[in-house]
Order: sequence, then C-alpha cells, then structure tokens
Amino acid sequence: MNDSKTMNVATARLAAPMLQVRNLHAAYGESKVLHGMAFEVHKGEVVTLLGRNGVGKTTTLKALIGMGVHRTGSVIFEGRELITLPSNDIAKAGIAYCPEERGIFSSLDVEENLLLPPVIGRGGMTLDQLYELFPNLYERRHSQGTKLSGGEQQMLAMARILRTGATLLLLDEVTEGLAPVIVKKIGAVVRQLKAAGLTILLVEQNVRFAESVADRHYMVEHGVVVDTYANGERGDRHETLGSAKLSS
Amino acid sequence: MQAFLSQVLLGLINGAFYAMLSLGLAVIFGLLNIINFAHGAQYMMGALAAWLLATYFGVNYWAALIVVPVIVGGLGMLLEKTVIRRTYRLEHLFGLLLTLGIASIIEGLFVNYYGAVGRPYPVPSMLQGAVNLGFMVLPLYRAWVIVASLAVCLITWAVIERTKLGSYLRAATENPPLVLAFGINVPRMIMLTYGLGVGLAALAGVMAAPIYQVNPLMGSNLIIVVFAVVVIGGMGSIMGSVVTGFGVGLIEGITKALWPEASGVVVFVLMAIVLLIKPAGLFGKPFSGATLALDPEARPPLAGEPRQYLVPILAMAALLIVAPAFIYPVFLMKVLCFALFAVSFNLLIGFVGLGSFGHAMFLGLAGYVTGHVARNWGWPPEFAILGGTAAAAALGLVTGVLAVRRQKIYFAMVTLAFAEMVYFFCVQAPFTGGEDGMQQIPQGKLFELIDLAQTMPLYYVVLCIFLLGFLIAFRTINSPFGQVLKAIRENEPRAISLGYNPDRYKLLIFVISAALAGLAGSMKAIVFQIASLQDVYHSTSGDVILMALVGGLGTIFGPLVGAFAIVGMQQYLAPLGQWVVVVQGVIFVVCVLTFRQGIIGLLARWIGRPL
Amino acid sequence: MSDDIILETKGLTREFAGFAAVSDVNLQVHRGTIHALIGPNGAGKTTCFNLLTKFLQPTRGQIWYQGQDITGTRPDKLVAMGMARSFQISAVFPYLSLIENVRLALQRRLGTSFHFWRSTSSLKHLDSRAEELLKSVGLAGMGHTKAVDLSYGRKRALEMATTLATDPVLLLLDEPMAGVGHEDIDTLTELIRTVAVGRTVLMVEHNLSVVSTLCNTVTVLRRGEILAEGSYDEVAGNPQVIEAYLGASDE
Ligand SMILES: Nc1ncnc2c1ncn2[C@@H]1O[C@H](COP(=O)(O)OP(=O)(O)OP(=O)(O)O)[C@@H](O)[C@H]1O
Ligand SMILES: Nc1ncnc2c1ncn2[C@@H]1O[C@H](COP(=O)(O)OP(=O)(O)O)[C@@H](O)[C@H]1O
Ligand SMILES: [Mg+2]
Ligand SMILES: [Mg+2]
Repeated sequence: MNDSKTMNVATARLAAPMLQVRNLHAAYGESKVLHGMAFEVHKGEVVTLLGRNGVGKTTTLKALIGMGVHRTGSVIFEGRELITLPSNDIAKAGIAYCPEERGIFSSLDVEENLLLPPVIGRGGMTLDQLYELFPNLYERRHSQGTKLSGGEQQMLAMARILRTGATLLLLDEVTEGLAPVIVKKIGAVVRQLKAAGLTILLVEQNVRFAESVADRHYMVEHGVVVDTYANGERGDRHETLGSAKLSS
Repeated sequence: MQAFLSQVLLGLINGAFYAMLSLGLAVIFGLLNIINFAHGAQYMMGALAAWLLATYFGVNYWAALIVVPVIVGGLGMLLEKTVIRRTYRLEHLFGLLLTLGIASIIEGLFVNYYGAVGRPYPVPSMLQGAVNLGFMVLPLYRAWVIVASLAVCLITWAVIERTKLGSYLRAATENPPLVLAFGINVPRMIMLTYGLGVGLAALAGVMAAPIYQVNPLMGSNLIIVVFAVVVIGGMGSIMGSVVTGFGVGLIEGITKALWPEASGVVVFVLMAIVLLIKPAGLFGKPFSGATLALDPEARPPLAGEPRQYLVPILAMAALLIVAPAFIYPVFLMKVLCFALFAVSFNLLIGFVGLGSFGHAMFLGLAGYVTGHVARNWGWPPEFAILGGTAAAAALGLVTGVLAVRRQKIYFAMVTLAFAEMVYFFCVQAPFTGGEDGMQQIPQGKLFELIDLAQTMPLYYVVLCIFLLGFLIAFRTINSPFGQVLKAIRENEPRAISLGYNPDRYKLLIFVISAALAGLAGSMKAIVFQIASLQDVYHSTSGDVILMALVGGLGTIFGPLVGAFAIVGMQQYLAPLGQWVVVVQGVIFVVCVLTFRQGIIGLLARWIGRPL
Repeated sequence: MSDDIILETKGLTREFAGFAAVSDVNLQVHRGTIHALIGPNGAGKTTCFNLLTKFLQPTRGQIWYQGQDITGTRPDKLVAMGMARSFQISAVFPYLSLIENVRLALQRRLGTSFHFWRSTSSLKHLDSRAEELLKSVGLAGMGHTKAVDLSYGRKRALEMATTLATDPVLLLLDEPMAGVGHEDIDTLTELIRTVAVGRTVLMVEHNLSVVSTLCNTVTVLRRGEILAEGSYDEVAGNPQVIEAYLGASDE
C-alpha cells in the first residue's frame, strides 16, 4: 500500500530515481526495526526522513550503507542492487555516510580523521577548502579527534565525507549540537553541494533546518514511510501529521 | 667484568626477542583488541619449523628466515579467517580464551610428537665465530640477532606509523564497521595484519633457534614475560613496545649479573612499579574504555530475585550431602575445592566483568600458608585455614590496589603477571619446598573434636566450608554492595556521578574473591596434605577459567558444574598424558565458538529462569 | 534569598597543551535560578562543566560552592554535597530495572554500600521513594521494566529521576535536549521546569527556544571567555553575541 503511494510520486518524475528503496526490512538481532520502508531519491535532490525518536530513521541509513543491521528487501542505486553487497563495496559505489554518533576516531588527530575516508570519485573538496569552511577544525587540526568539543566533532564528521567525492551523502542529524551560526553555515553548504549536483538524504530532528534545505520529506513511523510531501506543503498536511503523532 | 658484560649481552639478546614478540602482540592487539595468547606458540612454531625444514628438507637458515615467517604467518591468516574472526563481536575476554585454547592445542600437539626435550639448531656458517672487542668477546651470531631484530622492528614501525596503513589500522580498531562503510576492506586488512604479527613471532622463533634449544614449550615460558613487557610499555605505542622490550632484556641481564636469584622476577617487580606510577604503562595512552560491544550476547547475565534460588540451592546441598554414597569422596572433595575456587573466579568475571588470569596465586599461596602454619607451627586446622585465607586476602589487597586501576584486558594481563611473580617467589622461597612441594601437612582435629584424618568427617567439613563460601558469594551478589557493582559494570561514569568511587568497590570485590580462592586453597591443602607449585602455576589459573566457562559465566551454579566436568575429565583422561592439554584446548575453542553460555547457562535458557 | 550565590568561579582557567579552553572565567550562579551557559561550538562550555563537576582539574582558579572552596574535591564527593550532573548522552544502567536505577542513587545515603553481607532486601524500603520519583517524571508503574527497553525520551526522564534521587541542591545539565525529537522537547522543558522548583539549575543548551523559555540568566562564552551575561533578551540583542553565536538573521 505504502509502496503504491510512493510509486505515484515516483511516476510523476521524469528519470529513474538515483536511489530506489523497496520493501526494506532491517533488524538488530532479534528486534525488527524496519518493516518495509519504501522511498526514492532522484539525482540532485535533497530529501529528508522525518519522524520521532526511535522510528527507524537512523536504521534506514545504516541499512542503506550496510552497517550493523541485518537487512532484506531491495536498494537500487544507479541501477545496481546494493542489498547483498558488503558496506565497503556500497561505499565504493559512491555513497558516503555521516553517522549520528559522529564516529570520530580517538586514536587519530583531527587531520588524520579528515583524511581517513578514501577518495572514491572525483569532485570532492580539498583539505584546504574544508578548513576554509570550518576554521575551528583548522585551529585544532593536530588535536586528538575526540578531544574536540561535541559540535566540532560534528563538523569533522561531516567534513570528512565531503572529501571523498561520493555522489550520494547520507547525513544523520548533522545539525545536532551545533550553534545557530554553524547550522546556518551547514545549510549554506548543503545548498552549495546540491548546486554542485550532489544528492543528499538527510535525517533531521530540526524541522526548521530541514525545511530550509530540502526538496521533499518522508514521514517515518514504526519503520515504514507513512507520508511524503514536497517542501512547503506541510501546511496542507499538518492535520495528517498531527493525528499520526497523537496515535503513536 | 667479562662475566658481567656477557650477562648484559645475553640480556640484550633476550631483549631483542621480547621486542619482536611484544611488537607483534602490540600490532595484533592494536588491531583486533585481542591479546594473542597463541603468540608464544607461534614463536615456537617458527623455531620448530626452522628445525624441521633443516632436518628433513635441508633448508638452510637464510632460506628459513624467509620461508618460515611466510608459512607460519599464512597459517595465522588461515586461523584468523576461520576461527578468530568469529570472536570480534564478543566481549574481549572470549578472544583471549580462544587464543589460549589454540595455544594449548598447538603446544600439546607438538609436545606429543616431539617431546619436551630441546633440540640444537646449528649457527649458520657465515655467522660462526666471534669478534674480540677488547673488553669482551662478542659472538657474531648474537651481534647479528641484535642488529637484525632492531632493523625488523624499525621497518615494522615505519610501515605502520609512516604510511596511511597506520591510520587505517588504528581507526579499524576503534570502529571497524564505520571504517568498512568508508570503503576500506577491513576484514582483509585484519587478516593481513594478524598474519604480519604472527610472521614476526615466527621470525623471532627462527632467529632464536640457534641460541636457545628448540623445544615445544619454549614459547609458553617466554610469553608471560612478554605480556609483562607489554604492560610496562603500555598498549597503543609500537615504538614503546620495542624500546621496552630491549630495556627489559637489558635490566634482566644486569640483574642476572648482580643478583641472579632475582632475575626471574625483576620484570614483574618493574611492572608493579610502573603500574603504581603510570597505570597506562610507560608509553601507553590512558585507556578510555570507549569500545562498547554491540553483541546481544555481551549483555550481563540475568540475575533473578534471590528467593528464586532457594529451592535450587537446597537441592544442591541435598545432592552433595548424599553424593558420597555414590561417588568416591576424595574425588568429590577435589571437586568441591575447585568448585569454590571457580566460584571465587566467577564472582569477579561474571558479576563485575573483571577477568583475573592469575587466580591460582590465591589458591596456591593460601595452600602454602595453611600447610606451613599447620605443619611447622602446629596450628589447629581451623586456624590454619583461616590463616591461609587471610594470606590470600592480603595478597588480594596488595595486587588489587594495582590491578583494579586497569580495565578488562589489561586487568587480565596484570593479574597474570602478578601470579607469575608469586610463582617465582614460591619456586625460590625455602619454606615451600620448591619443586617437591610442601608435604605431609597434618590434618589435625577441627575444634579439637572432628578428626579430619577420617574421610567422611573430612568430606562433610569440606562440604560445609564449600557451602559457606558459596553462600558468601551468593549474598555478595545480592547485597547493597552487589547492587553498586552491577551499576559500575554497566555504566562507570554514571556510577561516579551518583557518588560512588569505582576503584574501592572493585578492590573490595577483588579481595573477597581472593579470600574465597584462598579458602579453597587452604581447604585443598588440608584435604590432600600437600601444597605444590602446580597450584600456583598458570595452568591452574587456566583450569579455573575453563571450569567457569564450561559451567556458565555469571551463573550461580555454573562453577560447581564446571568443576565437576573439568576435574572429572582430567581424572578420566589422565592416562592420555599430554593429550589432556590438547583436549582442554579443544574445549576452550569449542566453548568460545559455540557454547558461550555454558552448561548452566544453556539449562537456564531451556527452563526459562536464571540458575 | 535569590541574591545568594550558590556557585562561583574565580579566574577559572583550563589549558590543554598551551591552548586555553577556558580562561579566566568568573561565573556566579544565584540560588534558585535556572542559569544557561551558551556559546559557539568549542567555546568551552563542556570544559567549564567538567571543571565544575570535577571531571577535570583546573589549571588555575577556584571554584566555590555554598561558601566552600571545592577546587580540590573528588567528583564522587560532590554528590553528598548536593551537586548532581547529567550527561550529554543519556546515562542509565541499561540492564537494571527502573526501580533499581533510581534506588542506586538513593542507597548511597544509607551508608551500607560496602556491606556485602547484607541482603538486597535491606533496600526494599527505598522502593516507595523510587516509585514516587519515577512518577514525578512520568514513568509511574514502569518500575520493573529494564532501562534498555525504554525509548530515548524516557531514558532521559529516568536519568532525571535518578539525578533527583541524590536530592541535589544544584543540578548541572549538559545539553539536556540533545537528541530529543522536537515532539518531546516541550515535555522535557516542562520536566526541567518542575524539577527546578526549589533548586538551582545550570545548563548548557543550544536550543534557544528552550533557553528563552526556561532560563533566568544566560551567560555567553566565546573562546573560553565570558562574552555577555544577562537575561535572554538582553543577551540575544547583543551584536557581539549575534555575530559569534546566533548568526545574522536571514529571514
Ligand atoms: N581534553 C582536551 N584536550 C584538548 N583540547 C580540548 C580538550 N577538551 C576540550 N578541548 C578543546 O577545548 C575547546 C572547548 O571545548 P568544549 O568541549 O568545552 O566546547 P563546548 O563549548 O562544550 O562546545 P560544543 O558546543 O561544541 O559542545 C575546544 O576547542 C576543544 O577542542
Ligand atoms: N544497535 C541497536 N541494537 C538494538 N536496537 C537498536 C539499535 N539501534 C537502534 N535500535 C532500536 O531501533 C529502533 C529505531 O532506532 P533508530 O533507527 O536509531 O531511530 P531514529 O534514528 O529514527 O531515532 C529503536 O527502537 C531503537 O531502540
Ligand atoms: Mg537517529
Ligand atoms: Mg559541549
């Protein structure tokens, strides 16, 4: 049912989507978290997954990159089925992931952290460009990665995947813990990346931010997509959203 | 002077081997977070392979230097790919137990085939002879060993620290799935690195062959010193392990020249001092304890409400009361002694997450003390047992102060090294009777009433003591104190922020555990009228781990069942000689791979309630 | 009464390898207020926090709490003095029940925490107090659930109940809203407001709407130094603060 709804949105679009997720199930050991997620992302789009804590947004991103969850279903990226691939091959296909918990390495210094993810395609930013974008990181570049403040670690986690030249970025709550001034800057970066042709799948709690950058939103609940709407249409949808919230 | 210098030189050569071995250990540990207990066995394989190749295929030293590390390293990779890999997502302890099992299997097999005698390996003709340096004569081969090992260490260091490989390795240690998700093939990298570490051990083995006699146990004696070296140097620094390796060898050599008796323990004394001043080791970074196991099986055992255990405990007591009617009481008493020992070990690992790898020191020392005061000072058995227990508790206090400051795997190594210190002490102290052990310990009359020389009264006294110890442990788990321990185990920083000082709680539980192990040891000395080096030896520490594991870590009845199983097996398989070691190794490996919950854990899952 | 200073730092400084994360901070927290510490990333808020809770030692300067110099006091001692902290990531004991979680904070005051010979049932009389605390944070009747099974928001509530169980006079909260979905923010804000009654709260927070609704005083840090201090409106109007922290408004 959900499938058909999203399909309708899809047929409204011209080309085949860059990322097409169908009937995605995922589980941590015994506990099943995703129950048939379905959505798609087109090339050059910025799409967000919205929803309460624990509905499975992070799990969706982890299932896409193949990290730490058991997954079934179908994830087609640029015409290729990814569901059976190990995560290093998924990364090489051009997907980069910025985890919610940041994943900064304490045994590497800031610069080593930045240089860690191998470059997998052309068009990534250079070290200098990154430092220009995040002067905090430049100042602390020889400090141990986890000695950075929470917000600085968040910047580092985002910065390091901008180097790789991946074409699809999976960003999990990148504005978390950042000062308003930096959130604005990240918004600018996202728009800049979009202008450069990158595709971004964003998980956000900060709805204001999401609406300032995204083209489309998917509402997730209990491991399935329950709604999808184009940016700016939330006003019309507000009632459905509200009732969905109450029922949970 | 001549003699002094040659001792120093010998020390330096030992140091070269320590450096290469601790380097390999550090590389493997750095990456896999596994203390590779099989490292000593792999070193031995290197030496023995060189000897075999020379004896049966005429392969010379220089060729062996290349071929052997490749073969042994390759075998290492195979081992990693097939077996070790399966423990990464488990608690670190399991990896340690697995490699311990592998080491037993390898060494047991080689002892069976080649015996424990040393075999000479010729010094290559090019390096025969010596140069006279004026103040001393330097054998060429020895000079070569020092130079070559330095070169090997430096190259390894450069490869790891000066290339991107180093940051991949370090990152993969911390968070393998994320590094994989960046597109780096972590499993292959891990396999190659394990191979590299093992290859280094094998290379050290080949280089050692012409100096030391080649024998299947050459690695197991060395590895514990190497562990101490690693603790002194501190994990996390490759250069640190090299420097410490050479340094420790040198200090050992100097000590041997000045005070020969102390040379065996100097490493461990050094370790204690370093721990006191710098708990993270000379070059180590303070351990953050950041890694969290995601494995669902890594969760702490289910502990039920105390009253749920009432019936099972009564049933156990009843069974043990009638048991002598069916089973040979002396065997039962042995089981009970080891069961109490296992209870004490399980108390630490199962409920606090501290794996002591040197628990035999408490068992053994208490036995000696009990024996000594009963035999030489004429103390009655009740006081002798108390004395032994108190001695073990005191030892627990002293070692605990140093050990509890370190986490998990470090804790394991520190306790192991302390046990080795106690072992050396017992070998040399006059009152223990050295290799012969302390014999003819009088049993006496308990409270001047019960004659312990008679089997049945003795059995019931032993049973009472066992039950007493068992109940103390049980109550400790289910006490306000036990509650805080659980909290510390689950979230230490949070426990601190609620006003608890973790080190004190860990110290107390360590002392309680030591005392219970001591009680077991004292009891054992009275029962068997002998206290021997065997009880202080690291194989006994291994036995108790095996018992706890087979019975079920973190279960209440596991230790008893495990002791039954292992003591029974040892008794039953005794005629097989060295094969027992192999069988035990296999049990370790099988348990870790497929049977981690142990007999009681499995049973508990079956009937759906904690046991 | 509200003029009474409960916590004060004098020239508080912390350096890391020559880099001053906190430098010469003179902070005064008044009793009975909710005081926020805000500032750009890397300004030194968490460091300040860690200094106050003794997880870090200051390079220079002093910390006074209720008229006592606590600069050299060990962190586990502060609890008995009525100071409690929460963590940026929610900190619970996952495999213990909610009752046990809260009881751990209550049992310390009994002074029996080293009594390994006593039965756990000696703690039973604390259960009713624990239930009460759970109820006060909206977790009534869940006492026997394991903490690991709670949703994120409820873990936060549990953590709060545990913190309250230590009977704190001063609560230190580091980014209490971090990771909380926008749906739960109002609930948590209310929760903080309730627990703040009769207590003093010092919190670090990036969510400005929370800061503006909750806090009486706001101190802005930048590069380890105090940039501005005052009510939310005063601070938010300060051009320096706008530049360093809020960012030029573009709407
Ligand atoms: N242990 C440390 N070693 C070295 N530098 C550190 C250490 N801890 C913090 N720093 C540095 O001190 C500065 C202040 O850090 P702090 O964590 O206090 O910032 P913060 O204000 O909490 O920022 P955020 O809002 O991002 O959490 C940062 O630049 C950080 O890199
Ligand atoms: N590593 C894990 N092991 C077990 N369960 C998990 C794990 N990570 C998340 N979960 C559970 O999966 C569900 C979805 O979590 P998550 O994807 O992180 O949600 P979101 O990102 O939408 O907040 C939650 O109920 C959470 O408790
Ligand atoms: Mg999430
Ligand atoms: Mg912070």
